[in-house]
Amino acid sequence: MTVVAVSDTGPLIHLGEIHSLELLDAFDRLYVPETVYDELERGGVPDGLEKLSFERLEPDEFQPETTELDPGERAALAVANEREAVLLTDDLAARDAAVEHGIDVHGSLGVIAIAYAHGLVDRDEAATLMRALQLETSLFVTEAIVERAIRKLEE
Amino acid sequence: MAAELTDRVRRIAEERGVSESEVFERALERGLKELWEDLVLAQYLDDELDREEAIERVGRAKVKRAERELEIVEEDVEWGLNA
Repeated sequence: MTVVAVSDTGPLIHLGEIHSLELLDAFDRLYVPETVYDELERGGVPDGLEKLSFERLEPDEFQPETTELDPGERAALAVANEREAVLLTDDLAARDAAVEHGIDVHGSLGVIAIAYAHGLVDRDEAATLMRALQLETSLFVTEAIVERAIRKLEE
Repeated sequence: MAAELTDRVRRIAEERGVSESEVFERALERGLKELWEDLVLAQYLDDELDREEAIERVGRAKVKRAERELEIVEEDVEWGLNA
């Protein structure tokens, strides 16, 4: 099955913080909206992003009207809608907006899971990365939830 | 890292007008609160603590947030393993 994804800044920053952007190679095609790339440039492009294969683009029309989302999230949502891509975001409001528009949406922990399923990392590495996401990045997730995710990998 | 922490403690103490020992005391209190909440939420999610008791210990908002996070994370991992 071909998996196409578009990311907003969240997963790119969080996976960059644990030096694991290469996990995004698990996707057959990855889009990064220009607006998202501009936002990354303002805060410093994460190390390893340039080694990643992705396409920069801007959405044509659809831009959900909501004050809860920043321009990068709106652009990523629009690209996901246009390209029938999975939206990668760690933002709850963006996630809710995606669900509302019928867009498949997942976060950084899901990226680690798909990388594990595709054999890019083994189970121990996936568990270590999930714990690092909680301990070493700006992603807000409680320890108990991460441990549940790790147990789910082992099921 | 140690030097960075020392700098931060000094800076917080200066900016807030408190002693460095008070900064350490507040940091310890906040850190312990977070560890306590993690423990309570872990016990609740592992069915070792019932929902009402968890709410009483850490508040309804944190319990509801944990429930939402769990739902999302389980969904994400399930999707990742089958994509």
